[in-house]
Amino acid sequence: MFSMSKGLYRWFDTLCQHWARRLAQETSRRSFLARVGALLFGVSAYPLLPVARAHTARREAVPGEPGLDHPEGDPSQCQYWRHCAIDGFLCSCCGGSQRSCPPGTIQSPVTWIGTCRNPADGKLYIISYNDCCAKHVCGLCYCHRNEGDKPVYYPQRSNDINWCHGINNVVYHCSTAIVLGEAKNAQ
Amino acid sequence: MPCSVWAQVAPEQTGLVEKLPPAHPRWVFATDLVLERASVVDIDQSRFLGVVPAGYGTFLPLFSRQRPEIYLPSTYYSRRTRGERTDVVEIYSTETLGFIGEIPIPPKRALNRIALNHAALSDDERFLAVFNWTTGTSLSIVDVERRQFVTEVDTPGCSLAYAAGPRRFFSLCPDGSAFVVELDDDGREHRRRRTATFFDPRRDPVTEKAVRAGAVWYFVSFDGVVHPVDVSGEELRFLPTWSLVDEQARQQSWRTGGAQHLAAHSRRGLLFALMHRGGPDTHKEAGSEVWVFDVRERQRLQRIPLRFPGATIYGFAIEPDRSWWWPLPWLWQRALDRWIPPLVKSIAVTQDDDPLLVTSCEFSGALGVYRALTGEFVRRVQPIGWMTDLLFAPYDGDH
Repeated sequence: MFSMSKGLYRWFDTLCQHWARRLAQETSRRSFLARVGALLFGVSAYPLLPVARAHTARREAVPGEPGLDHPEGDPSQCQYWRHCAIDGFLCSCCGGSQRSCPPGTIQSPVTWIGTCRNPADGKLYIISYNDCCAKHVCGLCYCHRNEGDKPVYYPQRSNDINWCHGINNVVYHCSTAIVLGEAKNAQ
Repeated sequence: MPCSVWAQVAPEQTGLVEKLPPAHPRWVFATDLVLERASVVDIDQSRFLGVVPAGYGTFLPLFSRQRPEIYLPSTYYSRRTRGERTDVVEIYSTETLGFIGEIPIPPKRALNRIALNHAALSDDERFLAVFNWTTGTSLSIVDVERRQFVTEVDTPGCSLAYAAGPRRFFSLCPDGSAFVVELDDDGREHRRRRTATFFDPRRDPVTEKAVRAGAVWYFVSFDGVVHPVDVSGEELRFLPTWSLVDEQARQQSWRTGGAQHLAAHSRRGLLFALMHRGGPDTHKEAGSEVWVFDVRERQRLQRIPLRFPGATIYGFAIEPDRSWWWPLPWLWQRALDRWIPPLVKSIAVTQDDDPLLVTSCEFSGALGVYRALTGEFVRRVQPIGWMTDLLFAPYDGDH
């Protein structure tokens, strides 16, 4: 048994050597990179699929919301109900959560607001999208939704504005989505 | 045997730096927020010419036609992401792409997601207005001829900067009016006034991404209503509105949208609008077609179906070369053209007589090029960067 598996290993080793040499002889570094790129491009498109989830994200269940097993209840997903008017990187994926900034960043006190419907109770809530600032961009879990978004000349409803202007450092890191309360007179 | 006996390549001189050909109508500047620069590309030759570097955040290059200069409002921190903030207008040479100088301005410039119309050069190209946002709004006025900051003009609650004459700029206000400021010959505030409202920002707001053809700015609303603003006279004139979408297109849910969803050809009087099918609140969705309008007749001339501009990663174009075995090249082209949606977020049009339409997708450093008058797809130009934000084809002239 031992010698048979040893022989199998040797055969596999030889096969790999053969293919590695052939690959090295027949392909340039650039074309290799292009193929790896094609593979990575396919992989990078994966998060666009509705089943994608940021496995490294902090997923904090909140009572009264759809459960974490639903996209509308998972703060690491763009479909999370509070993200209806967000434009930025989700703090849940960056070491923070939907209501807290990642360590070492600073939360801007001024912000834009959205009005989102919680599918668990059907009610509309005012959501404050406070930016977390003073570290370079997080770069994980980009989400861009525009329900009720207005242009920058209508600032309180614009998700294009860098709200880190509210502190003394405009370097944007990620965005939170904090419930301010129920929207009694939603537009 | 020593290798030198067989050497066929002559020794070469060190220290060479390429010189640029004269600026050309088919030069395209494409901003890249990851690499913090604008790429300069000759889309005729599919040639990457060089870069104009930028500071932190989103940025908008402004191009002089009278002087071989590019003006770039930029932001820097002394410790990259912390420390003292410095804002400057950087000046780069169109002839060499080299740095010429800088003009310090108040550290307040707005760093919003889409930098379009966040700064403007006056029509006589003497003064530059930079939009400031500190939750309060203002314009920093810079004399680019004398290379000095002149003054800060507060624009009560009104945002952005649109050039409207040799000494005039206007901003958009949250009630749907415009705030107009005129400068004197030294760049100081001479006169200010607020116009009547010309659109309803609550019911159907215009986007900030207006384009100008001649003396008319074309603002387009979320629902596709065109609001032309004529800046040739002593007062701004709001011309009759018209719609990009007829009843049939409306029923098919066609809308305009994207990051840079409008372009204009000034001499031909053409307006190009990036279009997609979608419901309300899709005003930033990627487009699948460009519709071409004659602004004088207010009629659609052409629908241009778009292709995906191209895929790149780490500055490599993902495209077939000779090492790809059949049928991979065929499958790849078919996948790009047929199965990958166009995902076009930004468009621009060259200003020559046979203009080219240029498109880009924000997640790749690639350009799609089409004949703007016929819609014929010409080529992909790639790689030009790691991502693509905004496109500019600033130079006039016959090609």
